[in-house]
Amino acid sequence: MVNVCVRVNGIEHQAEVEPRLLLVHLLRDVLGLTGAHVGCVVGRCGACTVLWRGKPVKSCMVFAVQTDGTEVTTVEGLAREGELSALQRAFWEYDAAECGYCTPGMLMAAHGLLQRNRTPTEAEIKRAISGNLCRCTGYVNIVRAIQAAAIEVSEEE
Amino acid sequence: MEYPQQRRSRRDQYHIPLNSTLSRRGRRADERLQVSRDPSQNQSDSAYGIGARARRQETERFVKGTGTYVDDVHLPNQAFASFVRSIAAHAEIKRIDAEVARTLPGVIGVFTAAELARGAAAVVAPPGIAQCPLATDRVRYVGDPIAVVIADSRYQAMDAALAVAVEYDELPVLVDPERALAPDAPLLFAERPNNIIEELHFATVDADRVFEEADHVVRTRLHSQRIAACPMEPRAVTAAYDPGSDELTVWVSSSGVHGVRGRIAQALDMNEANVRVIAPDVGGSFGAKNGVFPEEIILAYLARALRRPLKWAETRIEHLSASKHGRDQTHELELAVRSDGRILGLRDRIVADMGATARADNSLTSAFLYMSGPYDIQTYKVDAYGVATNKAAHGSVRGIGKADAAFVLERTMDVVARELGIDPIEVRLRNFIPEEAFPYRTATGANLDSGRYHACLHRAAELAGYEQLRREQAALQDRPGIRRGIGVSFVIEPTNAARRDFGGGYGACRLRMELSGAVSVYPNVGQQGQGHVTTITQIVAEGLRLPKEMIHVFDSDSVLSPYGPGTGSSRSSVTLMPAVHVAADLLRTKILRIAGHRLGLDPSDLRLDGVTIRSVTHPDRTLPLREVTQTAYLNIDRLPPDMEPALEVIGYFVNPNIVYEHDEMGRRNEFAAYPYEAVIAVIDLDTTTGAIEIVKYVSVHDCGVMLNPQIVLTQHLGCIAQGIGAALYEELRYDDDGHLMNGTFMDYLLPTVNEIPDLVVDHMVTPTPFTPLGAKGAGETGMLSPPAALGNAIEDALRPLGVEVRELPYTPDRLLRLIKAARGNGSGTAVTEGIARG
Repeated sequence: MVNVCVRVNGIEHQAEVEPRLLLVHLLRDVLGLTGAHVGCVVGRCGACTVLWRGKPVKSCMVFAVQTDGTEVTTVEGLAREGELSALQRAFWEYDAAECGYCTPGMLMAAHGLLQRNRTPTEAEIKRAISGNLCRCTGYVNIVRAIQAAAIEVSEEE
Repeated sequence: MEYPQQRRSRRDQYHIPLNSTLSRRGRRADERLQVSRDPSQNQSDSAYGIGARARRQETERFVKGTGTYVDDVHLPNQAFASFVRSIAAHAEIKRIDAEVARTLPGVIGVFTAAELARGAAAVVAPPGIAQCPLATDRVRYVGDPIAVVIADSRYQAMDAALAVAVEYDELPVLVDPERALAPDAPLLFAERPNNIIEELHFATVDADRVFEEADHVVRTRLHSQRIAACPMEPRAVTAAYDPGSDELTVWVSSSGVHGVRGRIAQALDMNEANVRVIAPDVGGSFGAKNGVFPEEIILAYLARALRRPLKWAETRIEHLSASKHGRDQTHELELAVRSDGRILGLRDRIVADMGATARADNSLTSAFLYMSGPYDIQTYKVDAYGVATNKAAHGSVRGIGKADAAFVLERTMDVVARELGIDPIEVRLRNFIPEEAFPYRTATGANLDSGRYHACLHRAAELAGYEQLRREQAALQDRPGIRRGIGVSFVIEPTNAARRDFGGGYGACRLRMELSGAVSVYPNVGQQGQGHVTTITQIVAEGLRLPKEMIHVFDSDSVLSPYGPGTGSSRSSVTLMPAVHVAADLLRTKILRIAGHRLGLDPSDLRLDGVTIRSVTHPDRTLPLREVTQTAYLNIDRLPPDMEPALEVIGYFVNPNIVYEHDEMGRRNEFAAYPYEAVIAVIDLDTTTGAIEIVKYVSVHDCGVMLNPQIVLTQHLGCIAQGIGAALYEELRYDDDGHLMNGTFMDYLLPTVNEIPDLVVDHMVTPTPFTPLGAKGAGETGMLSPPAALGNAIEDALRPLGVEVRELPYTPDRLLRLIKAARGNGSGTAVTEGIARG
């Protein structure tokens, strides 16, 4: 067993884990943060996407021990003091979720994009979420929600 | 061709241009991303009645990451299950060696069919499960469960499952259903005389004569490929047993809690009332979670036997290889056609690959009964065979059976058009069931409830600019290596299946107004992402004139909800929602009667107005709602003399359009309502790579009254996307030894955001006359068209080559092969320069 000390959504956590434990299982099974979902465990569906060191990663492709001493942000960390982020509000407003299973991963992929690019083109948005599968919505409303959130975020600055 | 002005209903104006451009600073999102022509139709929380574009309530928890799916239900001391599955497609099991596995860290037990049988008389296959929950002596497909490991952690369970050694005596493998039909084929089930698990025949009296006398007979042989539903959340089970109360609670990612409950009780020999099955948030189903699965029974059984909460979460490989598959029908369709394009008769032979199952699902029946689609074809003969093979069992996938039928018919309609030199739109218009003929009884007895097919296709043609598209197409064919194709499709989608021994004919909803005035809602059908909580709340809010904050809709829970068939067959808007409407009416009536009695006024003079009841004729005469609830629960001496206490009702709605009894010819109506859709798809086909670009996709959809137009629209968009996957990318491929070749998302390709083109969607509203709300199902229709419309567009693009595309999906390699073959045949002589160069 290996000790991992990782800061998740601003809170420091310590855990004794197997070296092979995936980050997604650390988050879900050990820390009880069930927002990141498991859909394929081959890094293809993106339902487990979180930010690691500020960048979107598939948390099924990262070992928990790799995150020792680093910072992870999950969907639970998007809202500030109960207030939904612009992206979360836009997903709600534009009906960008149906069953909700892919939604946390989509949000984190989009959040990662908006962190580094406040004015993304449609092509850039599509590239940013091309590693995230959604079976319900056909993606149309998701792209529109991210566009709307980008506009709101960039106007606020 | 002329497209006369179609009649449009008041609520037709619902066109969303999705061709949005890029984000730029300083521009408002809704300027470019216009949702609707009518701003009042934008989503809001203020208008919350039936037909409002109410914002989905459930989305709030999804964007926060606080949805609760089965794998999120963490119970203290829970252990985990992992299954040992067959790697042979067809074999006798010689030996299962779990000795090593049992010694591994964390392992609580390894259980085979023999161990389960020793534990109790339990866990035999109850009706409705294809096979025994675990293989006894024989495995019939790769993925067939052989044993289950229970361990303290997920990883330990998976480790130990890998350590279980199974020895097989391999048997001959059947992967081709035609081969499985042969008299000398090996038998999958020894107790059966052959591999046919379902056989259906229907013929009108004059069927063969019409073909002898027809001007033309058009024949096609078409195959809908094997696909998987692939909800983003795979299946999952959590089970816990309380020995003190003898209550077993099972959380399942399932479409129907009551079916699962009944089967678990039966298999475990428990009193059904002591089994509670809950479906919390369900991360999509698309048919994949219909019915009862072996894992649900096994987890329930072992949670009781081991006195420990257990959890199993299906892996994606398990979902693709060992859950259920859909489609995979081969049709040999013949149409008898008059020289003007009028179809006089239909004959079809269907062979469906049902996989390793001894039980038929609804797929073959649904195709068998609906081969005539939207057309007036009363001469009809179909012979259908469902055949067992060594593949995972067939089951529901969005559009089950109906999608196969629509694909085959719509592809063949284009062949008719081409062979007779008639425009594909025109040939459909000449054969549609006319508006005045509804309700229309088809040859097989289906009662099509309502439709304006001509208007719908006209609308699609107008919206797509069909004539302009044809002119452009002619001009564009000069481009080197690129061919433009236009494909048309028109489909009907039978929704809300109901038949004897299957159920589905009614909806039910329990409403209870609490002492505070809050309303608890228990529908008999759960949700898997269709926004039922919101739609149900809208209906209750309108019926009781209450703010949505006072209404709460509960998850599907067998203890709380009235008995129901489960979500599926797009049934909720056809039977459940009318039942919610009935329940709200019943509750309102009771409230007003109590208030009338208290006020000394006639109840018909009273209206609910928020939390106050007010007289229409004397607006100053009011009674707080709280007075009514107190009367109903506490001060029952003040109730009207003949009235029972409490404010709890169950509303039922029985759909009157179902015909259960088969007539002497076998005719019946198994579905309640029939939405439909016209599609015009435009593609550019690159003849050097075989790749397709969808240039335009226009869909005009009519599912009757839209209870929430935003929810319908989002459903429909997703449905089209899934249909594009089925048309262009998805196929479960087995090799000759019965091994699945693509069991992960790396090789079973779902469409990503990049594969979905701009979609133009318009809605017409032709209410169903058979429900008080007028809504038809809206969950499947959009999935039916892409394989037909895009196939038609491909053949249209390659017309000079005479290429016939009869297999799905339309992958670049398949199209390239066909193009090369056509050129090799010498039919490429008529090919334009562009094609020749490509």
